[in-house]
Amino acid sequence: MKDRRLPGYLLVFVAMLLVPAVVHDTFLLRVFTEAVMWIGLAVTFDVLAGYTGYLNFGHSAFFGIGAYTTAILMVRAGWPFAPAAALGGAAAGLGALIAGFPTLRLRGAYFAIATWALARAIQQGVLMMGITGGPDGMRLPALLSPGFFYYVMLGVVGVTFFAYWFLLERAPFGLKLKAIREDEQGAKALGLNPTRLKIQAFVLSAVPTGIIGGVFAYWVTFIDPASTLGDLVSDQALVMVVFGGMGTLVGPVIGAVLIFAFKTVFWAYLSDYEVLYLIILGGVIAASVVFLPDGVLGVLPQRRKGVKDHG
Amino acid sequence: MAEPILEVDNLTKSFGGLTAVNEVSFQVRPREIVGLIGPNGAGKTTLFNVVSGYYAPSRGRVLFHGKDISGKTPYALAGRGIGRTFQVVKPFPGLSVLENVIIASFLRHPKKARAEEHAWKVLEFTGLADRAHQSAASLTLAGRKRLEIGKALALEPTFLLLDEVVAGLNPTEVDHTIDLILKLRDQGITILIVEHIMRVIMRISDRLVVLNFGQKIAEGTPAEVAKDPGVVEAYLGGEKG
Repeated sequence: MKDRRLPGYLLVFVAMLLVPAVVHDTFLLRVFTEAVMWIGLAVTFDVLAGYTGYLNFGHSAFFGIGAYTTAILMVRAGWPFAPAAALGGAAAGLGALIAGFPTLRLRGAYFAIATWALARAIQQGVLMMGITGGPDGMRLPALLSPGFFYYVMLGVVGVTFFAYWFLLERAPFGLKLKAIREDEQGAKALGLNPTRLKIQAFVLSAVPTGIIGGVFAYWVTFIDPASTLGDLVSDQALVMVVFGGMGTLVGPVIGAVLIFAFKTVFWAYLSDYEVLYLIILGGVIAASVVFLPDGVLGVLPQRRKGVKDHG
Repeated sequence: MAEPILEVDNLTKSFGGLTAVNEVSFQVRPREIVGLIGPNGAGKTTLFNVVSGYYAPSRGRVLFHGKDISGKTPYALAGRGIGRTFQVVKPFPGLSVLENVIIASFLRHPKKARAEEHAWKVLEFTGLADRAHQSAASLTLAGRKRLEIGKALALEPTFLLLDEVVAGLNPTEVDHTIDLILKLRDQGITILIVEHIMRVIMRISDRLVVLNFGQKIAEGTPAEVAKDPGVVEAYLGGEKG
């Protein structure tokens, strides 16, 4: 059961490590950093959406919890960045653990609605709290080093990707999640505990998302409830995952790169027509759901689902 | 006489005002094949769901190897050695046949390579090896019923609940499945089977338990039960017409 795709993944990762050596333009490096961030957010979203079959419209809450935890620890408690971001990930994981017990009992649209509502509640809570700066947001100490942030983002997303590859594609865990996605009642008869597996998946999705949120906060130096806890993160991640190919590792990466590239090019050259952006994006998504049910990845030739050859 | 492997003790399961299973008691002894029969709506599947942990009993108990298992979860019971199939089969349609069985094999073989090895053995045994890489959704009904048995077997159960694994198959497939069930019994697995096809149930069962409107109306060897006037009236009479 060798995965012949692993060398390819490693090659792409090494190539991405070399980006700052080639790209000296600060704006362009920012674009690359954000692209890597969206890859991370899409891949983490897919653990629940694609592998487990639960659409989490509260994904932004994990991102925001990570961002705010990092900001509060750095600004109010004087912590250095790395432990603050790590705790941001832990806080998001804890949030998933707590939110998972009631919400993961729900199926389909009800889970989506419940997680969406929970994220809105957290957003409102942050707006009202003093420690978060409320609607004024928080300003973090500025570190003007685009290369640093590119590498930190790439490090976090890269570690996440390879950890996911091991857990979801190599270890039994990924197949167990898929069993839950395919038939939860049937999975129980085979000795699987769906509640436990779903909570594990939820935490596995939340922790890196929180860390990415922490990196984002330090990188952009200013966060407010709308930019970190709003719908954007969940919606955009969903769009990327659906467009790229759900329930795979590579699909969300492809989807994130294509959608983010489209967005960047659009805003750079066609910003006069900004009203068209969401219309086009919405059209593309609707079309891809209808015509590409397996996403862009599904139209690539030579894709075999499932386990490799016997022996 | 050997200790019973399964003991259903005064079991009642009601849903609101409807009593689906009403004070039913019977025992299953090791290496027996016990048939559970009765007209539609007699409570057979409900009883299965209680025994396999999908429903908690309203009253009464289920003992497995002498221990009370009432209200335990299905996955805990799978761990204790109870395997089951579903009347409405539950394949994982988006996954391959092999992956379906690998998932079941994880219970006894937590390592993926070992689980896959074990899954191949189960696929050979159930005659699905040539379709291992097909998606489960692409199987015929006979194939899906076979996969259902294969997944239950991959759990390496000591006790197997089979819910209408023969219904809907053609005569050749029926014979294959009967052979499979008898082979399982010879391997030491105890079986409780629900089946509507009398020809099958009479042939393979050591004993029969007959339910009607949630109550046990008869119990005994197939020959005894076939002569029971109550059974003939409630069930066989209507069938033979």
